[in-house]
Amino acid sequence: MSVTTPQPGGSAPPASEQGEDLVIRSVAKSFGGITALSDCSLEVKAGSITALIGPNGSGKTTLFNCVTGFYRPEGGTVRFGDAPLTGLRPNEVVHLGVARTFQITRIFKNMTVLENMIVPIRQLGLRTLFTAGIKGHERERAEGLLEFFGIAFLRDEPAGSLSFGQQKLLELAAALMADPKMLMLDEPAGGLNPVMIDRLVAYIRELNARGMTFLIIEHNMGFVMELCEPIIVMHRGRVIASGAPHVVRADPVVLDAYLGD
Amino acid sequence: MRIERRLRQGWPWMALVVFLVVPFLLPEGFYLDLLMFTFMYAAMSVGWDIMGGYAGYVSLGHVGFFGLGSYAAALLLLRLGVPVFLSAPLVGLGASLLGAGVGFISLRTRGPAFVIVTLTFTYVAQLLMLDLKSVTGGSQGLFLPLLDLPANLVIVPFYYAMLALLVIAVLVSMAIRRSKFGLGLIAIREDEGKAEASGVNTSLYKILAFAISVWFAGTAGALHAQYLNYVDPDLAFELIITLNLIIMSLFGSRGIVWGPVLGAFIIYPLSAYLVFLLPSRLAGQLHLVALGIVLVLVVMFLPDGVIRTYQAWRKRGPKDHRPVEARDPIVEVAG
Repeated sequence: MSVTTPQPGGSAPPASEQGEDLVIRSVAKSFGGITALSDCSLEVKAGSITALIGPNGSGKTTLFNCVTGFYRPEGGTVRFGDAPLTGLRPNEVVHLGVARTFQITRIFKNMTVLENMIVPIRQLGLRTLFTAGIKGHERERAEGLLEFFGIAFLRDEPAGSLSFGQQKLLELAAALMADPKMLMLDEPAGGLNPVMIDRLVAYIRELNARGMTFLIIEHNMGFVMELCEPIIVMHRGRVIASGAPHVVRADPVVLDAYLGD
Repeated sequence: MRIERRLRQGWPWMALVVFLVVPFLLPEGFYLDLLMFTFMYAAMSVGWDIMGGYAGYVSLGHVGFFGLGSYAAALLLLRLGVPVFLSAPLVGLGASLLGAGVGFISLRTRGPAFVIVTLTFTYVAQLLMLDLKSVTGGSQGLFLPLLDLPANLVIVPFYYAMLALLVIAVLVSMAIRRSKFGLGLIAIREDEGKAEASGVNTSLYKILAFAISVWFAGTAGALHAQYLNYVDPDLAFELIITLNLIIMSLFGSRGIVWGPVLGAFIIYPLSAYLVFLLPSRLAGQLHLVALGIVLVLVVMFLPDGVIRTYQAWRKRGPKDHRPVEARDPIVEVAG
C-alpha cells in the first residue's frame, strides 16, 4: 500500500510500470442545456506528470470533479487501476489513492497548519476516531512533509494567516497526508510568483521521482512545457490532442482551439 | 503565575465541589430548583453544541428528543415499573438511535435540509404523542407516581442527576474536541466539500455527532418527566426549550466546550428571575419577548459569544486604540 507513498528524507522506489493508471472512458456531463463534457476519454499513466490544458470552459475542472466524486457523470466510466471510481463519494475516491487540490485554494482557515495536516489522515474504525487528536508518529509525518515544503515553522499558526503561496503549499502537503498514489492539481501555479513557481516545479519533480503520479490543470504554458509529459488538450468537453510538448505545440488543431473562432 | 495557572485549570473542580455540597448548605427548594434547571439546560446545550458548534449544523429538533424521552421514561415506569433514574440513560440511548435515523434522512446531503427536517421532527413527535391516545393519554398527558421521599427532599436526587448529566456532557464534549472525530467535525464546519475531498466521511461524522448530541436531550427529558410527575404534549415539546439551548450556546460561544455552560449559567437564572418578577399572567409571553430580544442583541453585538470575544480581546490587548477598521479581524466563526 505505502510503497509509492512519498516519504521526504526516505527512499522510495522510482516510478514503475506496476502503479495504477487512471482511465477515463466516454465521460459525459451537462448542466441544464450546456454540455460540459461529452464522450471525454483519456488515460493518465502511472508515474507520469500529465498536463491537462485547454481554453477556459473546455471542461477541465468539470472532468476533475467527475473523477473525484464531486459530480456524478451522466455516462462513461472512470477507473483507477482495477478500482472503478464512478459513483463514489469524494472521501472514497481519496481512500482509493486519488487526492486533489482546488483551483481556488481550499484550506481550513481557522484551524492551525498542523491540524490541517491531521484532518486527511485516514480513520479506520471508531476506536482510532476517538483517541487523542494528534499522535506522535502522525505529528512527525506531518512535520516531515511541512519541512519538505519549507513551511514547518508555521505549524502552529492559523492556516488563514499564511501567505497565498504558503496556503497553496499547505493544501498540497495536506493532500499528501491521505497517502495518495496520484495527485490531481487544479492550477497549482495560478497566482504564484516566478520564484515560487520554480520551487513548485522542484517539489513536483521530487515527489514524482519517488513514484507519485500527477495530473495537472494549468494555464501557465512555461510551467506545463517544462514539467509535464504528456500534455492532453481539451476543447468543448472532449480531448482534441495529446502527446509530448513539442508535438502538441505544433498541432494545428490545438492552435485552432486556442486562437481560432 | 503558577497559582494563576492552577486556578485556571482547577476552577471546574472547585465549582463541582461547591455544587456537590450546595444541597447541604442551601436546602431551600427555590435555589436547588434554579440550579437543577441550569444544569439541565447547560448539559443539553453542551450536547446541542456538539452538532451546532463543532459541526456547524443547527438543530431545531432537540426538544423533540427531550419530549420523546419524557414519554418513553413515563411509559417505562407506568407499564414496566422501571424507575426513571435507571431508565434515563437508556432512554437517551433510544433518542440517539432515533437521532441517527433522523440524521440518516437529513444529513447525507449538505445544507439546510437538516434544519427543516429537525423542526418537522419535533412537530411530528408532538402530534404522535397527542394522537396516540390509548398509549399516551392524548392531551391529558400521563401522570407519574411520586417518588417516595419527603417533599423538601424530593428535588435532591434530580439535582444530583442533572449535575451528573452536565459533568458527562462536559467530559464528552472535551473528549470530542481533542479527538480526530472533533477535528473532522470542525473541518466540516469550516468547509464541508474540502473535508470530503480530504477523505473525511462527512455523512458518518455528522450522523454520529447528532446521535451523541441528542443523548443529552433524551436523558434530560426522562428525568424532567419524573421531576414534574407529569408529561403532556404541550409541556414536553415546547419549542422554547430548543431556542434556549441555541441562545445559550451562541451567547457563551459556539464550538467551545465551556461556551454553552457559561451561556446556560447566565441566561437561565436571568430568565427565571424575569419570570419571578413579572406578573404571572404576562410572564409566559413577556418571557418569550425577552428571549427574542436577547437573541437579537447577541447576534448583533456579540456574534462570537462571550468567550471568543474575550479571548480575541485579550489577544489583541485592551490598549488597542486603533479604529475598529484598522484592527486585526477577530477570528471568524464559520457556519
